[in-house]
Parts: sequence; structure tokens; C-alpha cells
Amino acid sequence: MRIVGILLALAGWLLPVVALSMTQSLGARFAVCVVGIMISLVGILVVLNGAHQQNAIWKKG
Amino acid sequence: MIVGMLLLCGLTASAQAPPAAPQAAPAAAPATPPAQATPATAPGAVSAPVMDAPLDVKAAAPPSTDELAKGDPSGTKTGTVSDVVAADSKKGLTLADVVNQAGQNRIAINFVWTLITGFLVMFMQAGFAVVETGLTRAKNANHTMMMNFMVYGFGLFAFWVCGFAIQMGGGAPYSTLGGINGLNSEYTISLFGKNFGLWGTHGFFMTHGGAYDVGAMVMFLFQMVFMDTALTIVTGTCAERWKYIAFAVSSVFMGAITYPLFANWAWGGGWLANLGNNFGLGHGYADFAGSGVVHSVGGLTALALGMMIGPRIGKYTRRGKPNAIPGHDITWVLTGCFILAFGWFGFNPGSTLAASGNGALRISSIAVNTMLAGCTGSFGAILYMWIRYGKPDASMSGNGLLAGLVAITAPSGFVNTVGAAIIGLVAGVLVCLSVEFFDRVIKVDDPVGAISVHGTNGLWGVISVGLFADGTSNYGGSWNGVNGSVTGLFYGDPSQLVAQLIGVGTLVGFVFSLSYIAGWVIDIFIGHRVPAKDELEGLDIPEMGALCYPEFVLKPEPEQMMATAGD
Repeated sequence: MRIVGILLALAGWLLPVVALSMTQSLGARFAVCVVGIMISLVGILVVLNGAHQQNAIWKKG
Repeated sequence: MIVGMLLLCGLTASAQAPPAAPQAAPAAAPATPPAQATPATAPGAVSAPVMDAPLDVKAAAPPSTDELAKGDPSGTKTGTVSDVVAADSKKGLTLADVVNQAGQNRIAINFVWTLITGFLVMFMQAGFAVVETGLTRAKNANHTMMMNFMVYGFGLFAFWVCGFAIQMGGGAPYSTLGGINGLNSEYTISLFGKNFGLWGTHGFFMTHGGAYDVGAMVMFLFQMVFMDTALTIVTGTCAERWKYIAFAVSSVFMGAITYPLFANWAWGGGWLANLGNNFGLGHGYADFAGSGVVHSVGGLTALALGMMIGPRIGKYTRRGKPNAIPGHDITWVLTGCFILAFGWFGFNPGSTLAASGNGALRISSIAVNTMLAGCTGSFGAILYMWIRYGKPDASMSGNGLLAGLVAITAPSGFVNTVGAAIIGLVAGVLVCLSVEFFDRVIKVDDPVGAISVHGTNGLWGVISVGLFADGTSNYGGSWNGVNGSVTGLFYGDPSQLVAQLIGVGTLVGFVFSLSYIAGWVIDIFIGHRVPAKDELEGLDIPEMGALCYPEFVLKPEPEQMMATAGD
């Protein structure tokens, strides 16, 4: 899951970069940026952090 | 020598030939009135001066040696035509000497300004050290202090070896510091028909590729202390449980690779800076003094390592409820905040890299923006805590001040005072919400709140450029090679906001991932976390071999903090 989280984070970054060449529309670029940031945040805060929390030190007693 | 003490007033001496090209270009331009640029053959035109002809400067009446021997208590006799150096003392003072002196004076002012502000930023290391040490427990004080002390050396070494070259090795010319034209080699790839600059290739060890240069040394010192600020953010998040050797390796990697890479993209002529040129997005990614480059890079690296290293023993109960672990010295914390606020006057105004020419007098506006945002940041935090918890919390007030300063770092050179006050106020509230979010929801233990102060508010600062930049700044007529002033959404240019968001996406997606992967490799080979026994005992003896407070009797930990059990 840690790898999946990192891949999501990277995908969220690459999406708006690739979109630079796919559209000239400012609105579309803005939307893709927001979507990309959200994907990265989900990858980091949900997937990656979730993987770490599974074996968190405070759960071990 | 006598001829060399002539005066400027009689410049009309002999002047038939066209003017020679000034050797100190931009600064020399105002010295030549427009009329003198008219061809000498034009009817009624004023003749252009000859650059290498001796000047008739008697009217300047420099003080005699006898007069100077009496001293100069009023300061009116010191610094006269006598102090302008003639290149050829036999020929005497020429116009070329004067314009060269003007050029060198401008660059000298910029050198001194940049160096002194760099010294201020260096002193911020002391601020970080005492803030972090004060916010951690007394049993770890030596360890926390030593991380903050040595991160300076580890970072400096890595930056000297390769970090500076990667960051700035391809961005020349840096006009405010005399050009530094040796740093002109950027590794680029071609994507979508555009060049994407990735890293510089000149300047390794500050000797390679023209880096043995007075201007390059100024740039190195200033950029190095910025880089070290980013590094020291991580030590706060990972405090009280980080192996010293893992900290050392992580810091060297960050100073050599992570920080310089993103800094190149933003400041060294890399692809983010060229989003305006290549894709028509405003003036490209604009980050005046480093909310993104310095603070978000530090905060996101702190998040990556904090997530990996896990919370301190006792931070969470078995059901995941957070326990408060108070720091041992609030006096240190608030004193450190003041030191940091003082250092920030180097951080932001110094980022003009100039105090003369190129619109650099905006340093006054930048300084006022900086103090205002820090002020409203502490207001926001203290109000939030007072309303929510009934008390004006001291450590969060300090963090509010720092959050406001972090947030204004990127926009400080582009916004007006109202914008700065709003940015700071939002940051002050945001830091409180973010601390609660990471503490209770994400459960990443951050003893000093560095992720929220630097990471969250660094990102807010980057975004705020795209909102509040008012289009009045003019640093030499362009920014990132795009003519005109940086202008945000609220002042008519929505494309700048998109450029800023691409920067945010790069920080969150790329910088975090690179930091995490590097931290993961270090975890595999070295391990980040100290043994539980050492953590419970305190890291001063196990890791450093000496207590910070050997004469003090430390209070035992509460039982639930020892066992992680709690409720």
C-alpha cells in the first residue's frame, strides 16, 4: 500500500504537468490542477498514512 | 594624482566622438542624459562626452589634506570626488572611471545588502534551535539542540559539494549581483515542444564552471542559509525519537538533492519558473522568498519522515486518542519566535538580492508586509485558541506568528499591506486547524507543529501569490522573463493562480514522494527510530552521551505515557 500511495502522489503531480500540453483553456488547466492536488493528497494522507497507521506503535500496547 | 582629484561638474569638456560603450551597463545609463545620445552631426545637438577624456572637476573642491587632518565630525568631507578611483592616475579622472564607479557602487550595495540579510537568516538557526528545544521534553533537550546545531554543518557541506550547482548552476545571468555569468549551464529535456530545465551543472565545490566568482560567493551564502532553514524544519517534527545518524544522513541528502532540485525549478531557471514563457501562465511559478521552496519543502519532508518514524511513545492511547506532551520551556519557545521574526527581515527583504536598481527599493514594502503578516498571524492563532479553548495559548500564539511569516514569504514582494494582513490572519487560523487535523485525524505526531507551520502555510503562501499579487512590483521590468508585474486573480490575472497551483502540485506530489523514498531507503539501511528503551529514558544519554540539564531532577513520565495504554 505504501507504493500505491507514492504512485498516487506522483500521478497527481504529473497530471497537471501533462495537461499543460493538452489544453490551452485556463479553466481546464485550473480544474486539472485541483484534481491532481486532490489525488496526491489522497495518496499521501489516506493510502500511505493508512498503511503506516495499520502498524502504529500505539496499537501495539 | 592631482588630475585624479578633478570634479564632475565640467563634463562638457571635449566631446566629438560617439560615446564608448559603458562598461557597467545598467547603472551607467542614467549618467548619460538623453540629449547626449543624439548624433554629434545633428543640428543643434549637444555633443556626446568622450568616455576616456580627463574631466574638468575643479568645482568639486575636494577637502585638502590639512582639512581632513582635523577630522570630519559632520560627515560632509568624507566621500568626495577624491574617493573616485582613476584607472590611469597620469591621465586623471575620466567619465569611464565615473560610470564604472557608479556600476561598482550599485553592485557593492547589493553585495552588502544580500550578505547582511544572509547573516540575519543564518541567525534564524538559533531561533529554530530554541523553539524546538523548548517545545520538547527536558530529557531530550541535548539531542534536539544538537540536531539543530549540526544541521547547519551537514547542510552547508552538502550544498557546497553539489546542492548549489544543482540549484543555481544554470540560471545566469543574476543581474543584481553582477551577472555571475559562469553559472549558465542547465540540464534540460524537451517535452511538448518546450524546454524543461531540470538542474544546473555548473558550480560544484564553488570552483567548477566559473563559480569561483565574487558574485557567486554572495549568492552561495544567501542560498545556503535558506536551504538550511528548510532542513531544520524536519528536526522539529522528528524530535524525541530520531536516531542521530539517520538525521545526519537525511539532512545531507536533503541539502544535496531534494531542496536544490525544487529550488532550481523555481529560482534557478527551471521549468516551473518558465511556465509563463512556455505556457502563458502568468509570470511562471512565483515564490518571492520561499514559502514553497523553503518552507513547504521542509514541511512536506517533515510530513514524510514524521509519518514513517511514527508517533512518540505515549502520544496516543490504545484507542488513538492524542495525549498532550507539553514542552519543557515556553520561555525558550517565545524567545525563539522573536529571533525568527527578526531573522525574517533578512529572509524576505533580502530576497531582492539587491538594494539598488531593479526596483529594489521595494525592500521597505517587503519588510512592512513581513512584520504585518507575522502580527496578524499571531492574532489569528491567539483568537482561535482563546475562543475555542478559553485561554490564549502561548505556543500556538508563537506558531501563529511563524505561520504568518511563512505564508507571507512567497507573496511578500508582490502584495500590498492589506493583502499581507489578510494572508497572515488566514495563516494564523489555518495553523491551529492544521495542527488539530494532523494530531487527531491523520495521527502524525509533530512535537513542534512544523508540518502545519511550514508545510500547510507554505502552500497557502504559494497560493496567495496567485490571489493577492497586486501588479505594482517592478523588479527590472519583468519577472521570470515575462514583462510586467506579477498579478494575481483579485487584480486581474487568473493565469498566475494556475502557475501557483502547478507549484503546489509539484511540492505535494513530487517533493513529498522524493523525500519519502529517500527516507524509506535510509530506514531500510539505518533505521530512523531509536529503541523504545532509549526513547523512554530520553535521548540525551543514549544518543548524545550527556544530559542537557545534569543538575536537574527530571519528573518521571506519567504512567500512561510510559505504556501507551491510557484509556
